[in-house]
Amino acid sequence: MLFFSYFKDLVGREVTVELKNDLAIRGTLHSVDQYLNIKLENTRVVDQDNYPHMLSVRNCFIRGSVVRYVQLPPDGVDIELLHDATRREARGG
Amino acid sequence: MVGGLRIFTDRVGDGAGQPVLDVNNGEGLMHVQPGVSIVLGNRASESPGTLYISTKQVVWLSDTDRTKGYAVDFLSVSLHAVSRDPEAYTSPCIYTQIETGSEDNESEGSDSECNGTLDLSKINEMRLVPSDPNLLDTLFEIFCECAELNPEPIEEEEEVHNWIFSADQMEDQTLEGEDSGWDTSLNPTNSIGFSNGDHDLTRTVLELQIDDQRFEDAEEMESDSNSTHQ
Repeated sequence: MLFFSYFKDLVGREVTVELKNDLAIRGTLHSVDQYLNIKLENTRVVDQDNYPHMLSVRNCFIRGSVVRYVQLPPDGVDIELLHDATRREARGG
Repeated sequence: MVGGLRIFTDRVGDGAGQPVLDVNNGEGLMHVQPGVSIVLGNRASESPGTLYISTKQVVWLSDTDRTKGYAVDFLSVSLHAVSRDPEAYTSPCIYTQIETGSEDNESEGSDSECNGTLDLSKINEMRLVPSDPNLLDTLFEIFCECAELNPEPIEEEEEVHNWIFSADQMEDQTLEGEDSGWDTSLNPTNSIGFSNGDHDLTRTVLELQIDDQRFEDAEEMESDSNSTHQ
């Protein structure tokens, strides 16, 4: 549940979601669920050459299982905190 | 379940009605929306039709051609969105991307028709255009609900992972008494890399004693004449 909690804290921030099919979508994180399905608002496609039809969609729901990366705002990341939290999570503690 | 779009022709009754669902496995109808056109990939819009959203899949059935219908599982819908940008598409619609499972994305749209027959497995974009654009937000929300009902299936009970964080942790592992001699028996716990089944790989690695004589350097033969190279 670590990343679920982590992403919940990022709601309202700008993120870029890169999918496994290489599409990258930028938008405001609206919500996230336990499966890491992501809802974005005010989305726009980062790479317009490959998916020009998408352009700007207002709201977008992205299935968690197709996400490759979520690019975070630099000031939204406390690296030490994440390190400790992931180690604890992996140990089951 | 096949990934991606597929033909769907199974209709209730004499063929005029709703799609046949897998009720025995808990599939239920969530929403019916008449007056919806469907656009597959770069093809022309197809209409008139009715959209049936079940707990497992999206089904579109033609109102006029009873042999025409398409369906896709929510497991294959990578993303969905409300598209109101006229530059993206002339009419407001629900835009969806479909995961086809094929690595080859080069031929999206362009090869979806070969010799006139439609190859649904190559379609990775689908638009649903309701006659009333005010319905889009509702349809979007229903898509969200159904997507949440269809998370990735878990294959089996998740095993407890024995992650190693430090060398200290390895020394804590309890070892069975083992002599370091040659083990000629076919005992799987002594086989390197034998990881099938419920073996604790950590323990298997630990049983591989570092000072095992199998790792000693080969003894050089005195009679070898190393100095002569030709």
